[in-house]
Amino acid sequence: MRIFILVFVALFIFCCALFLGPQIIAPGPLSTIEREILFSIRLPRVLVAMLMGMALGASGAVLQGILRNPLADPYILGISSGASLTAALGIIGGMSFLGSFTVPVLAFVGALVTGGIVGMMGWKRGGLWPERLLLAGVGLSFLFSALLMLMMSISTDEGLRRAMLWIFGDLSMSEWSRIPWGLAFVVIGIVLSATRARALNALILGDEFAHSLGFSPQRERFILFVSVGLLTAASVSLGGMIGFIGLLIPHIMRFFMGSDSRMLIPASALGGGSLLCIADLVSRSVLPPMELPAGVVTAIIGAPYFLYLLRKKDVLSI
Amino acid sequence: MSSASKPYILDLENVLYSYEKDSPFIHDLSFSIPEGGFIGLLGANGSGKSTILKLACGILKPLSGRIKLWGRDLLAQNSRDRAKLISYLPQTLDISVPFTVKELVSMGLYPYDIPPALSVDEALDMVGLRDKADARLTDLSGGERRRTFICMTLVQGAGLLLLDEPLANLDIKYQIELVKLLKNLRELRNIAVIMALHDINMALQFENVILIKDGNLIGSGRPDEVLSQRILKQAFDVDVEVRRSASQGIYISYDNNFAERRS
Amino acid sequence: MKRYFIIISALLIGLSHSAFAGGSTASPQRIISLAPNTTEILFALGLSNRIVGVTTFCDYPQEAKAKPKIGGMSNPSLEAVVSLKPDLVVATTDGNPKEFVERLNSLNIKTFVFTARRLRELPHGIRELGAVVGAYQEAVKLADGIEKAIEMHGRGVRGQGSGDKGQGSGTSKKVLFIVWPEPLIVAGPGTAMDDAIALLGYENIAHGAATAYPKYSIEEVLRRAPDVLFIGKATGMDMREVSQGFLKRLSLVPAVRNNKICYVSDNLYRLAPRVVRGIEELAECLK
Repeated sequence: MRIFILVFVALFIFCCALFLGPQIIAPGPLSTIEREILFSIRLPRVLVAMLMGMALGASGAVLQGILRNPLADPYILGISSGASLTAALGIIGGMSFLGSFTVPVLAFVGALVTGGIVGMMGWKRGGLWPERLLLAGVGLSFLFSALLMLMMSISTDEGLRRAMLWIFGDLSMSEWSRIPWGLAFVVIGIVLSATRARALNALILGDEFAHSLGFSPQRERFILFVSVGLLTAASVSLGGMIGFIGLLIPHIMRFFMGSDSRMLIPASALGGGSLLCIADLVSRSVLPPMELPAGVVTAIIGAPYFLYLLRKKDVLSI
Repeated sequence: MSSASKPYILDLENVLYSYEKDSPFIHDLSFSIPEGGFIGLLGANGSGKSTILKLACGILKPLSGRIKLWGRDLLAQNSRDRAKLISYLPQTLDISVPFTVKELVSMGLYPYDIPPALSVDEALDMVGLRDKADARLTDLSGGERRRTFICMTLVQGAGLLLLDEPLANLDIKYQIELVKLLKNLRELRNIAVIMALHDINMALQFENVILIKDGNLIGSGRPDEVLSQRILKQAFDVDVEVRRSASQGIYISYDNNFAERRS
Repeated sequence: MKRYFIIISALLIGLSHSAFAGGSTASPQRIISLAPNTTEILFALGLSNRIVGVTTFCDYPQEAKAKPKIGGMSNPSLEAVVSLKPDLVVATTDGNPKEFVERLNSLNIKTFVFTARRLRELPHGIRELGAVVGAYQEAVKLADGIEKAIEMHGRGVRGQGSGDKGQGSGTSKKVLFIVWPEPLIVAGPGTAMDDAIALLGYENIAHGAATAYPKYSIEEVLRRAPDVLFIGKATGMDMREVSQGFLKRLSLVPAVRNNKICYVSDNLYRLAPRVVRGIEELAECLK
């Protein structure tokens, strides 16, 4: 079935990203340096790329469903702006109370707090309402982005540069210590949303429709919202903001897999993970030994492909 | 409408509901729907038809009174069990995501852990959509879409369909097709239907008609018995003529001369 | 006779075209500096009581912090500059926006653009600046001192020959100057650090990078196996703490294995008289 092809493709891409790198490391007897590079540097990095991409793809698919908006992406709810703000605070303010975990933890906390605020503002009469969520998220996003820009305009060049590098997506600091956490949150988030995929399908067609099929629309929406929050928080804290994936990967996957969330959520996860692995590979290999921001590369690769698909399939399936 | 021999799927007893505090909208509403009933809920826009349907399936909760499904309190039942018994199709369907016909019909399986008796393919055959199984909803006509949703409720296995103005915005051809389909399904599967509508003539197709005005039940019974000039004037604030013919029973016509009378 | 006349008039023309936008030739008394390095130079020239405005980033020497602020480097405030009624504004080529300098000129405010970017250009830049601010003697002294120091360090390397520097045949030690460990930002070509390293006869492994302060690949560091690592100081940060995790990932690198890691100051971050001390720091470490 198609999903297995996707899994295979994702694994293949994973291996490519691992071995091709800026310089090819061929499997076989490896020198100590090469082994060190492979296991301590590349493997965690590619794993983080896969995890982040999966989180972003899946949460994009879920969010487009619960908000009933094809333009929704994990960042529209302002969660990433909040995370960027706290992370930039940490970077520019030179905080390091948790060692190298400081900025990721700050980002994660920022994301969750923002998600909580958005959730509270979107709450009325016993449930979350899509329109309220959307408006609250957009409003909060503007606020935090403005605060972020304010902070940047008064900070020194060095802190600024580091903050910007982080915000544009930075996978270079991936290390093994982050992986268990990332894995845990991403898996929880994806499993949580995948088990509610049927409810999501029903919600897409309307609250009353979902009720008729035996779901509690508010409860399901709340659980799905929580999963989106977790996934986005995990992704942003692992490696900054990587745009585009959450927005367009679900649409790309819809071309191949249809709209059923039970297929779409895992497919978007695999698609997002694959794309980010490729983008990270490119960002490392184009101008070695310099590294480009991964978020820029994902957009440069992904957007033209999406436009191409749109033309080819000839139907605006949105 | 009360037939002691037939069991009742739905009972509304003294139901009270209001959208705003202190201004009850639905007051003291009572009626019962027997198994296999084919009921038209007739009334002007805003008369409370949608509200009643939503109360009947549990989307809205009454402020007082009781609603029973197969003799048991509606709201006390597990939502999945309830979904296997009663299905509600809203007036507006948000089709922004291009689900295929088959995907939508398969959603009828959601309340079930063990697949129900009727399979998706069989249901598609029943409504004549088998050849369109892979078509996207966005490519279908309004009538075909409604048929797809009804097909889904077949898989859902609900014994009672609550349809909120399904004939709105459909060409007369498709309206007739839809009503025929429902009647057909009623015969095949003994499915009861309550359809909210405001087309007076179409109401004649129903076994029983319930007339609603301002949240109140102003009449119920067989169309040829209950539909009179007086009651239609009360419900719709319009003058109509109710004529009888030997072959057709009653039919209703509007005054053809729409010009204002001078004297 | 004619030749002397031509030379003298050429000199006069040259002088009159120097960065003054007309006006008197008395030395400026109200100087604003738009960059930290020019601020440091001006203070080093003994002009502290003639400096009326500096940027918010000018933090050296201590007295600079007390001076009125006119904004940042990339976004100085025109109003603040104008309200201080300067008779000279000193800007830099890569630090300040060209448009700002042009704007000042159009308001008839005298500007001087400090163009030195590399180590070897610093002495000349100081002399030029000295001439413009009317402190030529001090500038020459300062510049000469810097030149001598640079020369000495360069000679010191060549003088020692290939004796203790490994297996002869000129394999110079590989070094890397790290500006920040996570994400890894290093000093590439065109920086004072790169110049200093080359001066001391060593090889900056990031010399071939595309930009001055690239975000560098950790993999590449492992591959190129530098023998010495410099870690520069970021304001207010404990670099040892900040670099801990990073250095663990580089355990296979010779510099880490042999514990040839030097935490140096930020003396080389600005092209100012302090660079000499910066070079000394590097030289000390490399002994």
